[in-house]
Amino acid sequence: MAREATPATEPLRVVGRAIPRHDARDKVEARTLYAADWQMPGMLHGAVLRSAYPSARIRRLDVSRAAALPGVAAVLTARDVPRNVLWTDVPGQTSEVGPLRARLVLLADGVVRYQGEPVALVAAETPEVAQRAVEAIDVEYEPLPGVFDPAAALAPGAPRVHEEGNLLARWQIRCGDVERALERADVVIDTTYRCQMVDHAYLEPEAGVAWVDADGVLTIRASTQVIEHFRDVAEVLGVPHNRVRVIAPYVGGGFGGKEDVTVEVFLGLLAWRTRRPVRMVWSRQESLLARAKRHPFVLRYRTGAARDGTLVAQRIELLGDAGAYAYLSALVLLYATVTACGPYRVPNAEVQARVAYTNNPPTSAMRGFGAMQMVLGYESQMDQLARRLGLDPVEVRARNALHKGDRLPVGQQIETRVAVIEAARRAWAGLGPRVAPRTPHHRVGRGLACNIQPYGRIVWLHDWASAWVGIEMDGSVVVRAGVPDIGGGQASALCQIASEVLGVEPAQVAIHIADSALTPLAGTTTATRQLYMSGNAVLAAARELRARVLEVAARLLEAPPGRVELREGAAVAPDGRRVALAQVMKECARLGVPRSHLGVYHAPAGDPVDLARGGRVFPDYTFGAHAVEVEVDTETGAVAVLRHVACHDVGRAINPQSVEGQIQGGAAMGLGYGLLEEVVVEAGVNLTTSLGTYLVPTALDLPDVEPVILESGDGKGPFGARGIGEPPVGPPAAAVANAIEDATGVRITELPITPERVARALGLLESPAPGRA
Amino acid sequence: MPAVPFDYHAPATLAEAVSLLGSLGEDAKPLAGGQSLLPLLTLRLVRPRAVVDLHRLDELRAVRRDGGTLEVGALVRHRALERGEGPLVLCPLLQEAAALIGNVRVRALGTIGGSLAHADPAAELPAAVRALDGTILVQGAAGARAIPAEEFFAGLLTTALRPDELLTAVRLPLPGPRTGHAVEEFSRRAGDFAIVAAFAVVQLDAAGRVAAARVALAGCGPTPRRLDAVERALVGLAPSEEEIRRVVAHRPLEIEPDSDVHASAAYRRHLAGVLTVRALARAAAGARAFGP
Repeated sequence: MAREATPATEPLRVVGRAIPRHDARDKVEARTLYAADWQMPGMLHGAVLRSAYPSARIRRLDVSRAAALPGVAAVLTARDVPRNVLWTDVPGQTSEVGPLRARLVLLADGVVRYQGEPVALVAAETPEVAQRAVEAIDVEYEPLPGVFDPAAALAPGAPRVHEEGNLLARWQIRCGDVERALERADVVIDTTYRCQMVDHAYLEPEAGVAWVDADGVLTIRASTQVIEHFRDVAEVLGVPHNRVRVIAPYVGGGFGGKEDVTVEVFLGLLAWRTRRPVRMVWSRQESLLARAKRHPFVLRYRTGAARDGTLVAQRIELLGDAGAYAYLSALVLLYATVTACGPYRVPNAEVQARVAYTNNPPTSAMRGFGAMQMVLGYESQMDQLARRLGLDPVEVRARNALHKGDRLPVGQQIETRVAVIEAARRAWAGLGPRVAPRTPHHRVGRGLACNIQPYGRIVWLHDWASAWVGIEMDGSVVVRAGVPDIGGGQASALCQIASEVLGVEPAQVAIHIADSALTPLAGTTTATRQLYMSGNAVLAAARELRARVLEVAARLLEAPPGRVELREGAAVAPDGRRVALAQVMKECARLGVPRSHLGVYHAPAGDPVDLARGGRVFPDYTFGAHAVEVEVDTETGAVAVLRHVACHDVGRAINPQSVEGQIQGGAAMGLGYGLLEEVVVEAGVNLTTSLGTYLVPTALDLPDVEPVILESGDGKGPFGARGIGEPPVGPPAAAVANAIEDATGVRITELPITPERVARALGLLESPAPGRA
Repeated sequence: MPAVPFDYHAPATLAEAVSLLGSLGEDAKPLAGGQSLLPLLTLRLVRPRAVVDLHRLDELRAVRRDGGTLEVGALVRHRALERGEGPLVLCPLLQEAAALIGNVRVRALGTIGGSLAHADPAAELPAAVRALDGTILVQGAAGARAIPAEEFFAGLLTTALRPDELLTAVRLPLPGPRTGHAVEEFSRRAGDFAIVAAFAVVQLDAAGRVAAARVALAGCGPTPRRLDAVERALVGLAPSEEEIRRVVAHRPLEIEPDSDVHASAAYRRHLAGVLTVRALARAAAGARAFGP
């Protein structure tokens, strides 16, 4: 690992240290109780009946045989759900679609719109009986015409997935005069790219246990990124919000797949109905079949540049596939629209973006959230431009990179440092000397890809996070924060921050997370926001607490206020005299000085923006660059990534070990996306519902990704940190595509880059590519 | 997902197992290493009324060399093949093929008999046994049979085994002098079933010309395929890579690959050509290394 030293504005003891996370050892030693590990006396087992058809009317739904089976406690259909619809707000639309509230149906009500859509729920004494009951539910379907491609969905006369039409959302950006700029450009690169639907494929499929507690509160302990879904469960059941509690244990991977509700509402319905604890664990097949996935996009880029490589215009058309329900599609499309021009100055830009309903599996949040899909477009274009003009790939990017103070095409000014070219140079240099091809039929090449990713949520959501920090009477520290830890070290980073400010060792900090009843709400663990938001909330709470403690300690030490420090579990005077924190706490208690504080952080907020008119959309953006070296077998089309250097500006690495983990994991996920993974859906039927057909890379398929951490010190998070959760997944696919052109001279424009696609591009196959929906 | 409930039997002898299969008929499935059957059970793709677990049948674990042939018991695990334990070291092609099966956890449990009886067209061992001209030994209520591999693989996941018969062993001729072998497998991901794999055996005469060549392909049709025309055309040639490439390019490959989510039929056909050349060239090089 290489790490750029940045002069610290204050000496730091704990922040910046690669200390092992407190949760890591527990996980390795199998002590962590994940959602599915929870057991309750008298617990029932839930199961879901899912639609066999992607588009059909339910003519008959008869649960009587299932309900009569011995050991079956409940069978529920849409009719048994008090409020069967959840709503998604889609604010600030700029098109004929208008402000929209999109509908998510919990259990199919008369119509199924995708294969795997939940139709009925069962709770039974054992998983075997639950499964038997699911199979005993009689459903008679009348297949209906469906539409399985977003372009076809928008054509006149297409079958309507929902009554209001198939156009779910549309955004546009216009700045400058694109038409004229493209006419006057010395070079125009016009290419259409396609990226595929993929799955989050986390280790831990969706799972949870729900029970009605002794106080009548419905308690749901589930694998989720969003404990605030207690509100959705309450809405569905028609009970007050304060009668539902969601607890998120340590999560075995989220990546956006647990941002929408998964098992929570179903568990709530079954536990509320049976008044018994209910456990529901989705199988890998269910998870791959029907849980919302990453949006496929068609991206057409027309990029104009001057002879020296300076960009003069981008005209971009985006079309995404929302699948059968809205979920977060409109927002995913917004991220795509805002970032489509990449980390570059583009004086004239037009982005036209649409997302359409189809009868495919729904798509929603996934790491990178629309912004990551754009990297293939803008970075392939930059590479083609460099090649056309005979420029070095780093140089062409350096001539166009955004700088602090520049405006994005959407009109938002960048307020922090843009270290994208520094990252590009470090990644590119990190590849070292070129490797020679192994055989005469192998070729070796290199590729670079940079990216821009927002961190924090859209400003008009008025995002905030709260966290409680307290010091116990013995001097130990407690943090309470409603933060789901999805494996990124979210909890331990907060401990490190509290430890830094309060001068105790990280092991002296206990943290309680992700309980909507007992921990202050912190918002979602999504959008690369938790370190930024909750980090700032913990920092604010800890600093306020430190100020109070120091005041009391200064009196005890008879030292000048402002000169006393907290370190090693004590308050220390300038002359070295010290008083233990426990002693200071006693004094606080005697004086009635509060020994805890609730910190709240409000992100920069703003009104909804009409993108076409422009304005601020996100709190801030972050930047990175990946460089890869690949070897292509020119007889088979096989691509092996030999080296991969991934460099990101994280502002400040609170825990460099966790940062490296995020970079390596993100790069691995990005390579899987680039080379292997695809949810294959044919006429609405998912053909990849096992890990034998849905190909997630293994350690044997990936290079040893080398992370390079840049610390500009200029981020909006605690100690100048930026986020690092989502950014590293963006660049790998484009970097590999660029490297393949470097190696072989052929340009791959469609993901995943399968050996067959490469073989076709190399002209190895005579027959035309098979038609694709 | 839990499997659909079934009756479980664990017979102590081969005779008992065969008699059980005879009485249970088509409703029973024999269980060896479980690397194919258990996933099929838990995915509920098969729903047998009974499972006959063979793990107590130690008589099916033997490996014997008998003159020029090797007899490998049905319950010999992939890991033993891969490591060339005991006389298995005499069949290096089997060793190379077994090393490509799944991952080490799969190889530690999976058995040669299970793999042959399951007859997955993309699996390594059926094609390897075809390339080796093996014979499958089976035992049924009506007695024992020896079935040439060519006749054993009858179709997609289908063999010549009758419901009351158990695969007991496979008999393989040991390689003669100046014989080389090679396995060239192409998969999307390490440890996966092959998209296409080529298994080649080349024997040279004292003058360095091809005395006999055999090549079998996995992933190119419902059963493992031998390339008879290529094999015949190679006999008598000095097998340089260019010569092999020329022979393969000018013979139609007698294969009928399918398209699936991993590859189209056209791409499989292309790979079959590339991998056949590579496997034959490496096998020939291995044979030459024996010297005249």
